[in-house]
Amino acid sequence: MSATLSCHGLSKRYGDVVAVRDVGFSIAPGEAYGLLGPNGAGKTTTISMLVGLLRPDSGGVTVGGVDLGREPLRAKAKIGYVPQEIALYPELTGRENLRFFGRLFGLPRKQLAGRVAEVLELVGLTDRADGKLDTYSGGMKRRINIGAALLHRPEILILDEPTVGVDPQSRKAILDGVEHLVAEGMALLYTSHYMEEVERVCDRVAIIDHGQIVAEGTRQELVAMVGSADKIELVLDGDVDAAFAKLRTVEGVLEAARTGDSSVRLLAEGGRYLLPALITAVEGYATVTATEVIEPDLEATFLHLTGSTLRD
Amino acid sequence: MRPRPVLALVLANLRRHTRDRTGLFFMAVMPFVSIIFVGMALGGGTVGERLPVGVVAPGGDTATDTASDTATDTASDTATDTVTAAVLAELRRHPDLEITPVAAKSELESGVREGSLAAGLVVTPGSSRLDLVATENNGSGVAARAAIEVAVGRVSGVLAATAAAEHAGSTPQQAAHLVRQAQSQTGHVTVVDTESPGGEPRGFAYTAPANLLLFTFINSMAVAAAMVESRRLGMLQRALTAPVRRGAVLMGEALSRFAVAIAQAVLIVVVSSLAFGVRWGDPLGVAAVVGVFALVATAAAILVGTLLNNPDQAPAIGPSLGVVLGMLGGCLWPREAAGETLNTIGHFFPHAWGMDALLALSRPGTGLLAVLPELAVLSAMAALLLGAALILFSRRTRAGT
Repeated sequence: MSATLSCHGLSKRYGDVVAVRDVGFSIAPGEAYGLLGPNGAGKTTTISMLVGLLRPDSGGVTVGGVDLGREPLRAKAKIGYVPQEIALYPELTGRENLRFFGRLFGLPRKQLAGRVAEVLELVGLTDRADGKLDTYSGGMKRRINIGAALLHRPEILILDEPTVGVDPQSRKAILDGVEHLVAEGMALLYTSHYMEEVERVCDRVAIIDHGQIVAEGTRQELVAMVGSADKIELVLDGDVDAAFAKLRTVEGVLEAARTGDSSVRLLAEGGRYLLPALITAVEGYATVTATEVIEPDLEATFLHLTGSTLRD
Repeated sequence: MRPRPVLALVLANLRRHTRDRTGLFFMAVMPFVSIIFVGMALGGGTVGERLPVGVVAPGGDTATDTASDTATDTASDTATDTVTAAVLAELRRHPDLEITPVAAKSELESGVREGSLAAGLVVTPGSSRLDLVATENNGSGVAARAAIEVAVGRVSGVLAATAAAEHAGSTPQQAAHLVRQAQSQTGHVTVVDTESPGGEPRGFAYTAPANLLLFTFINSMAVAAAMVESRRLGMLQRALTAPVRRGAVLMGEALSRFAVAIAQAVLIVVVSSLAFGVRWGDPLGVAAVVGVFALVATAAAILVGTLLNNPDQAPAIGPSLGVVLGMLGGCLWPREAAGETLNTIGHFFPHAWGMDALLALSRPGTGLLAVLPELAVLSAMAALLLGAALILFSRRTRAGT
């Protein structure tokens, strides 16, 4: 199946600073693709090149088979871009804002009103459509912000941090809506600081750091990069040396290390299920006063690959 | 360039403007408050007022009043008093002059010095000598002097023609008849001297064009804040992700501002004509001047809207700039009061050229052709500013700011 969006060798330099270096990926119809990276990693620069705001120093972008560099207007007509900021006129109503974007995207006059009504229904704001935007809550503004990108029925929706600063109810509504669109066959490029959103929405994820994609794959593939073993942290009271020696012999423990006078860290398969055996093993030498099991996830993978958390 | 995206931007921006109550107040109320109060302070006239010229003549009022016969009478009577009376009669017929009898030369000099008289004439008894009293750097004085010279020239012409007829063998009566005949034949010709400096109108006739320029520019500058806000919100960036050319976005922004500037100008022209009886002159000329000046204001607004980063800066900087340029251009007070240096500096900026053009058009018989130089200068300014705005806008939107 041909990709809805593909880019290759994208690079952008500002003076001596390389913002993006040789970035490339493709997104199939109905696929949700996540772009994860800490602040300053090059996500926004990459997206700016994908939507035609920035001209790349090298590389190219194809949207729905149309080369963005050669036919920017045709390519842009296939993209629905939702910027991180609320890019709407606060003095206008929700409906007026949508009509503005509908005209901007060249929707025929006869279709405009009907399409605006459909999108208002989709984002759940039909009742508030004629209220001025500056009377909306943050979540409502975010929903109109997304709706403005859907009016022209784009082939790919590009969402840049769409849930920043919204309440849990609005976040759920946004994520439900996005999943609905993907299920209907729309391609999605999603960036977020919220790992759980990316894990929930995206089929594939690219981790970008220092302007480069350092890893790409499904959630399972990325997690496998840091291994499938769980980390088990134990705090002991008693003869810690003797207890540590016994713990190393328990079946399933792959590695063991002392992390303090009374604490040890184990690497084990199925760590949560191994806990009773570990507690039994140290009986007579020490008492387990605290336990923590850390399962491998995208956050751990991200930390492993970039050396920082997403919110750094 | 597709018209719909441009139209979309224009509609959205105009809608935003109509919801800005402060902006509407400054557009629909403030200009007229200014026109009324400053206009009343300047005399409240609705057309170009006549210049007061004082005359000290033997016999006072009688001398000036009896000099109402036609100038041809002087051809039949060469007495010097009659010549003087003929000159005074010419002056009284001049549409730009108001002849006021003054008792003494000292009183006349005092009136000219204080500005209540544009100029004065002292008639020497028993002589055809006329002494002119005027200040050197006063526009009204210069205009009055020019008008007096024209009147004296006309009487001299009549005397010369009469003498020539007599020299050719005509009796004084025949000579007078011939001169009267010649005068009646040339009476159908209206000569408008657009080269000589004319007096500037007063009252509403001055403050209406002054405030048109002032508020068209100031409100355009204030509207620039909306453009900074659009940039800050990311609206312009987002618009550029639509299938729209960069030029179309700039065109949409520019047309929105131009529409506001034109609306402001039209409002002032219409209301001042209906409410204050201001006569603006040749409609084509006024439309051309207003259109080009609105372009200058639009270009300046886009330049400011592109340069500034904070929407709060625009209302602070833009209108202040508009007021300063208005001061230099004679929009806040009569240019006569500003002096030559300030008026010269003012002509580096658009307001002074706009005032030159609008005041010229308010004089009867002046049309579009008479203000072509001013239109050319304003057009050049608009082109320069628009060019700069276009380059900056393009750079800024490409840089993502």
